[in-house]
Amino acid sequence: MAAKAKKAFQYLLMSALSAVFIFPILWAVASSLKTETNIVAFPPQLVPSPFTLESYNTVLAKYPYAGWMVNSIVIAVMSTLFVLVIASLAAYAFARLEFPMKKPLFSLITAMMLIPIQGYMIPLFKMLNALNMRATPELSSLSLILCSGANITSLFILTTFFREVPNSLEEAARIDGCSDFRFFATMVLPLSAAALSSVAILTFISNWNQFLWPSIVLSGNKNLTLPVAIARYFGAAGQDAAFKYGPSLAAACMAILPTLLVFLSLQKYFVEGIAHSGIKG
Amino acid sequence: MKRNQGLIAFLFIFPYMLIFFMFRLLPSIGSLLISLTDWKIIGAPNFVGLKNYISLFQDKNFFTALANNFRFLLIVLPVLLFASLFVAIALNGKLKGRNLVRTIAIIPYVIIPAVVGVMWNWIYDANFGILNYLLSQLGVDKVGWLIDKSYALPAVAVVVIWSYLGYNMILYLAGLQGINKELFEASQIDGATKWQQFRYITWPLLRSTTSLLITLTLINVMQVYDQVVVMTGGGPRGATMTLIQYQYIAGFEKRNMGYSATVGVAILAILIVLVGVQKRLFKADEGREG
Repeated sequence: MAAKAKKAFQYLLMSALSAVFIFPILWAVASSLKTETNIVAFPPQLVPSPFTLESYNTVLAKYPYAGWMVNSIVIAVMSTLFVLVIASLAAYAFARLEFPMKKPLFSLITAMMLIPIQGYMIPLFKMLNALNMRATPELSSLSLILCSGANITSLFILTTFFREVPNSLEEAARIDGCSDFRFFATMVLPLSAAALSSVAILTFISNWNQFLWPSIVLSGNKNLTLPVAIARYFGAAGQDAAFKYGPSLAAACMAILPTLLVFLSLQKYFVEGIAHSGIKG
Repeated sequence: MKRNQGLIAFLFIFPYMLIFFMFRLLPSIGSLLISLTDWKIIGAPNFVGLKNYISLFQDKNFFTALANNFRFLLIVLPVLLFASLFVAIALNGKLKGRNLVRTIAIIPYVIIPAVVGVMWNWIYDANFGILNYLLSQLGVDKVGWLIDKSYALPAVAVVVIWSYLGYNMILYLAGLQGINKELFEASQIDGATKWQQFRYITWPLLRSTTSLLITLTLINVMQVYDQVVVMTGGGPRGATMTLIQYQYIAGFEKRNMGYSATVGVAILAILIVLVGVQKRLFKADEGREG
């Protein structure tokens, strides 16, 4: 009897939790599909009727939303690829090669992990200006990608993984006269596919969600990323007299879609990635 | 074995190190230097010594922002830790549908924080929000969740908790799965109560997870910004203004970059102290990392 009561409690708790996590999202989706009068109807309408894409059309017509979306995707994808390439190369050296200053260099890098962006954004901003990297919208997007390359968590996760590649493999490869680069590209990388996927999804999502730094760097309003654009045009600061919830919720829902696609297709690696990035904290 | 490894290693680390030095290390050092100047975006910076730091200690608004961060922390940290631990323990063990709940639980964590803010603005809306509607059914009067000075900060804190709860729960579940089941069986034979099992087995063995979660929460809450900007803009009348927003305003609205850099250095110093104290409190755990 006690076991049954416990099961019942567990299922009740699971349902309640799921409702708490999912309701705000579903409510935003439902409201975004209502007519502007029905959004504020009293009592609230749970299911949109009539069903309309009016709010979505408004957003797409009134704002350069498609441009924001494309720019967000380009920046997040390019940043992720950039991090994967340079961090995996460096991680290989830190994990498997001997060179002078290796330990102090690695300690220096991991010590910097605690310094958040606001600890260095002012000089970084000054430097980008001095290099004329904010002269055009395209250059400012490019500078965002370059800055995202200094990703310490990724280097840390990959180094931990590359250390675990068995030494016997390396010895065999060396005897066959395999160069470091070939060993890295044909053995280490494929063996670390899971780690690379974790790093890829963590990097993608953190770049996709990033707000403070892009809001400073990006110039012009057509090539903003979605978080910056949504905060600027649909957040508290944008609530002028003509503010309407429909378009703002439609803009929010469209911005969630890519996150959900990436997350749901790679969620296994995401949870693993969380666990691995937690190794050291 | 040690062939020309130095040169090869250099080639491997060069691209990363270049980016790291240029976009992370140099600007971090630069922050310290700029905080000693009166740089105003335009024009050359003048060296002013510790003037910015002295102003910082006399700046009422800075301490207001700092106090707000601590208010966030006082709400978010205990609720997050207790709730995620409770839920993880309750859902530990074989349960149908647990993977689904885990997936759902992490969704708030991966959504753009600015978008989360927009969604909750709608729930909290004083006139048309569903929260006030539900409360009105219970006979409660309209609450201006985001426009009333006394409710705005707790209201945003709830959103922060909503974002991180699933993430914390997953880390606790992972920690629980690492505990050897035999410990519970053996203690049961010895007549230990559920509470004793929690007190002497579960809690001590989850120590490293707890320590990690506290560190992450400290870091996240001291930097809470995106949701605040979208939900309240720091208002009403500064009630939700946090450190990062204060730094942003000093630098990019008031154009006082030297002072803004000083605030940035101060935030980092506060963070280091907080994390340092936390690590010290959990010191028994540190031996493992050695």
